Amino acid sequence: MIIIRNLTHVYAGTRRQKARTALHDLTLEIPERSFCILSGPNGSGKSTLFRILCGLATPTGGSVTVGGHDLFAEPAAVRRLMGVVFQSPAVDKQLSIIENLRLHAELHGLRGAAFQERADEALAWTDIKDRLGDRVDTLSGGLARQVELAKCLLTRPRVLLLDEPTTGLDPASRRAFLGALHRLQRERAMTVLMTSHVFSEAEDADSVAIMQDGRLLAHDTPTALKAQLGQEVVVVRPRTPAVMLEALRRDFDRPVLVHGDELRIEDVPPAEAVVLVEQILTRFRGEVLSIAIKQPDLDDVFVHVTGRTGAASQATGPTPQTTAEDLKPEDQEMRA
Amino acid sequence: MSGQTTTALAPAVWALARREFVRFIRQPQRVIGSLGQPLLFWVFLGAGFTPSFNPPGMEGMTYLEYFYPGVLMMMILFASIFSTITVIEDRDQGFLQGVLVAPVPRMAIVLGKVFGGASIALFQAFILLIAAPFLDTPLPLASLPLLVAAMVLTAVGYTALGFSIAWSMRSTAGFHAIMMVFLMPLWLLSGALFPVAGAPMWLQVVMAINPVAHAMTLLRGPFYATPAELLATPAYLTGLAVVVVWVALGLWVSAVRVGAREKGAAAA
Repeated sequence: MIIIRNLTHVYAGTRRQKARTALHDLTLEIPERSFCILSGPNGSGKSTLFRILCGLATPTGGSVTVGGHDLFAEPAAVRRLMGVVFQSPAVDKQLSIIENLRLHAELHGLRGAAFQERADEALAWTDIKDRLGDRVDTLSGGLARQVELAKCLLTRPRVLLLDEPTTGLDPASRRAFLGALHRLQRERAMTVLMTSHVFSEAEDADSVAIMQDGRLLAHDTPTALKAQLGQEVVVVRPRTPAVMLEALRRDFDRPVLVHGDELRIEDVPPAEAVVLVEQILTRFRGEVLSIAIKQPDLDDVFVHVTGRTGAASQATGPTPQTTAEDLKPEDQEMRA
Repeated sequence: MSGQTTTALAPAVWALARREFVRFIRQPQRVIGSLGQPLLFWVFLGAGFTPSFNPPGMEGMTYLEYFYPGVLMMMILFASIFSTITVIEDRDQGFLQGVLVAPVPRMAIVLGKVFGGASIALFQAFILLIAAPFLDTPLPLASLPLLVAAMVLTAVGYTALGFSIAWSMRSTAGFHAIMMVFLMPLWLLSGALFPVAGAPMWLQVVMAINPVAHAMTLLRGPFYATPAELLATPAYLTGLAVVVVWVALGLWVSAVRVGAREKGAAAA
């Protein structure tokens, strides 16, 4: 449904800032009717990709087709297929819920009875049905998000793009919103692409794409991604990571990964994990702040995937590291 | 859904313009502020300058009377320009990105804001127009449509100008600065405050190329002459042509700016 090929985006340099490449030759395919989560650390290029996908920016190079339409040659045709939920709400807070819906519908050429029917359909799943006359700025964050999503559903989009839609929601609202989103995606056979950096959100997705430094590091189902890490992970938080790292590498014949102040030993068979923990504790009791055995979850996948690249780039020299710092600070709110 | 890819222009413009007006009416401070300021200007300056106002060829005219069309102009200027500040707010609050990704003609985004802003300006200017019969001007009834037309054209011209400036601005503070050094002088040198005739030569040149001065001609004329007389006056016709070009240019530049998407730079 969404086919991204060799997408490259460069932000022009100015006198004080040199040009920076936010997307490097990115290729990604999202099949029809699938739910894809796009994740990556701040500055990974997610928001740049998002801006390009919703047609607010044109890239330096590469192509994007949505539902068979070239995004850059026929932007209007793609806009018809798409619903977009932005990180900063694209509703008018001074208007009521129903006024917002009506305005959005009119921008898509829906009026009168057709609007009424679509509005009922788009609101069916929400908790805002009896507050339609209320101004949006009087709603809680969770309900305001529902308005945003309902608004997009009015036009029966085939593709739904969401940029960190759960930012600022409490855990209950977050779960409720995602639950509704997954249900709607199945019922309406939509293709959903959602950016997120909360990995627990990705467990139910059909696929997870992980980006870093403008490159796609992995794109697979959550299960397949977790399988990369093998069976269990031993996570150690030592007092002085550098000392401990050396000691672990010397005493055990296993690859040790550094992530922040944590040391990780991946792909440990279940039978050996407990033994390994015991050995580490026996030798370095005073050095260890905490130690744990984990079933890999997507957070671990993220550490694994992004951490590995970090190590690789250090091995090849410091140059790639500087480009990473030059990248745009991503999670400042995106503006149209 | 029908085969066409973009929504028709008129319904989209109407929807966006209506939103502008509804938002305006829901902020009483805005209504009071933009109505009160020109009114106070008119009363205070008019009363203060009348004793010393005695330009050649305008004997017997009070400053209160001379300044009245100028205040109308000022009110339209302020209301139109202030309403385009909402372009920056819309962008800031996220509303604009939702409109940009909708399949509407880019011109609809411009016209929605421009007509919405112009209608707000006209709403206020029409309220001030209630004072017109109490002035000593002849104001032939037949000229009223020309006066209204001048007001509409001016309001659309200002909002289009404001839109094209506000589009790329990221802060309302910056917009205020531009307004003080660029838009205010357009009004000051339009003949709204003082007649062109007595001004120094260099000022007369500036005023001749100022589109707002030509709009001022359109606005002042109907108070003193019949449509037949006006349409036979070269200055009036020149003014009309200049203002029409101004409006068209403003709308065109705005639409081009809205249509331009941020482009990736050439590969490094």
